[in-house]
Amino acid sequence: MHAYYFREAARSFKHHRYLASTAIVVLTAALALTGVFLLLTHNAQVALGMMGDRREMIVYLRDDIDARDRDALAGRLRDLYGSVEYVSKEAAWEQMRQQVGDPSLLDAVQDNPLPASLRIKLKPALLAPDSMEAAARQVAQFPEVEDVRYGAEWVRRLDELGAGLRLGTLAIGLIVAISVVFVLYNTIRLTVLARRQQVEVMSRLGATDRFIAWPFVLEAMFEAGLSAVLALVAVFGAQQAVASRLIGVVFLPPLWALAFVGAAIALAWMAAWMALSRVLRGVGP
Amino acid sequence: MITFEQVSKRYGERLALDSISWHMDEGECVVFLGHSGAGKTTILRLITHETQPSHGSVTVGTFTGGRLPRPHRALLRRTLGIVYEDFRLLHDRTVFENVALPVRIAGRFADQDVVPRVLFALEEVGLQLKQDAFPAELSAGERQKAAIARAIVNRPAVILADEPTGALEQKSAEEVLGLLKRIHSEGAALLLVTTRREVAEALPARVLELDDGRLTDTGAGPAAEALGDGAAATAEASPAPETPAAPAGSEASAGTPGGSAGR
Repeated sequence: MHAYYFREAARSFKHHRYLASTAIVVLTAALALTGVFLLLTHNAQVALGMMGDRREMIVYLRDDIDARDRDALAGRLRDLYGSVEYVSKEAAWEQMRQQVGDPSLLDAVQDNPLPASLRIKLKPALLAPDSMEAAARQVAQFPEVEDVRYGAEWVRRLDELGAGLRLGTLAIGLIVAISVVFVLYNTIRLTVLARRQQVEVMSRLGATDRFIAWPFVLEAMFEAGLSAVLALVAVFGAQQAVASRLIGVVFLPPLWALAFVGAAIALAWMAAWMALSRVLRGVGP
Repeated sequence: MITFEQVSKRYGERLALDSISWHMDEGECVVFLGHSGAGKTTILRLITHETQPSHGSVTVGTFTGGRLPRPHRALLRRTLGIVYEDFRLLHDRTVFENVALPVRIAGRFADQDVVPRVLFALEEVGLQLKQDAFPAELSAGERQKAAIARAIVNRPAVILADEPTGALEQKSAEEVLGLLKRIHSEGAALLLVTTRREVAEALPARVLELDDGRLTDTGAGPAAEALGDGAAATAEASPAPETPAAPAGSEASAGTPGGSAGR
């Protein structure tokens, strides 16, 4: 691209620095809001991913089944639902003792009341709450099974939280995108009107709309790009502040950050051309 | 080169031009003389397609009649050099940058080629030492010279001048007219509109008088007679040519200094 366009964009930015600064502040605030929602969504996804590893189903077995039935059941569950680990009555009791910590508390219990169990790490395809629920109902049908337990409620709530955050980010992103277009549209319009004399002279000298428009478009893209970077810096600051109190809160991945800046610049490009295609027809003789 | 055929222009109720016909050849000098509101500037605006005729047709080079699409309009304007009474320089740019603007708009030259063209134009108008000055730092005469340098920098085939001495005191006006005369003598066609008869008489021009939108008189200024310019009869009485020539300084042919306009 012609270096002239960049020089003109820099000149225009300098000339209208107060208008440009106002636009940058407004855009930064709007984009930071989106950035915060992106951060929440990303962290929710990370948390859900980690919790997803722990989404296991515990199948309690009847006391009266023999080892052959148990192994046959484990084989079928492995084929249908995921990896299976057998925990005997004794192993369950030992785990209980370790979790309680003080052995004297369990002295009063004469016999081991805990059932043997099969712990199933579900296949990824079954991690959605509805799939887990359906799988649990199916497993409970086996005659060897006493009971089935899984964290149905909290899994559902986490999924709902994740979906809500994604929806919120989408909605906020959409509102902010419209705001960005609106702010830049008007900023460009005011900039062009403020430079009306220049536009008129250039038009009379035979400049095409494209020639007149490019510096303004570059200026808008620069303002949006700078605002997006500033918004990311603000979001990073917020993340650092929260991370010092709440372990596990992470910043956006580099690809997300790049896409965020790229989207802001693309919106600016769109808004600038929309504004210029209208304004130049009104200003140019 | 430029042909008006039965052109009328109406602004609301007011008739600015009333069915005028005239023609201008390559390299010719034509002055429209008339009082304020006679329709002189409307003629220039019709040539540059800033406005459209209410009736009749305007031909400039190969651009004929009707509303041109915006890119074609821009192309047409790039074949012309325009000088305004109020200069219309950009105040936040130096003289050099103002004169360089049409070269950049033409888009045919790399950055390193812009400089010699601009310096050549500035030298022609005697402003090479003022190239870094801003318009506010120049006298009115110098500003008009800068505007003339901007008009000639792309070597257009036609220079349009809208009352170029209107804002100047006598000495500056004489200098500017001398400059325009020299540019014309080097080959560029010159179309000038003015309210002042002495300006018309100072140029080797065919003078067309306008009164309330009508052409009332055609003839030649004394300088034209002295130079033996035989173009005087081309206006109104003579029909427009069937195939007017394209501007020699048009996009395709405007080139290096001393190029298409024969300068």
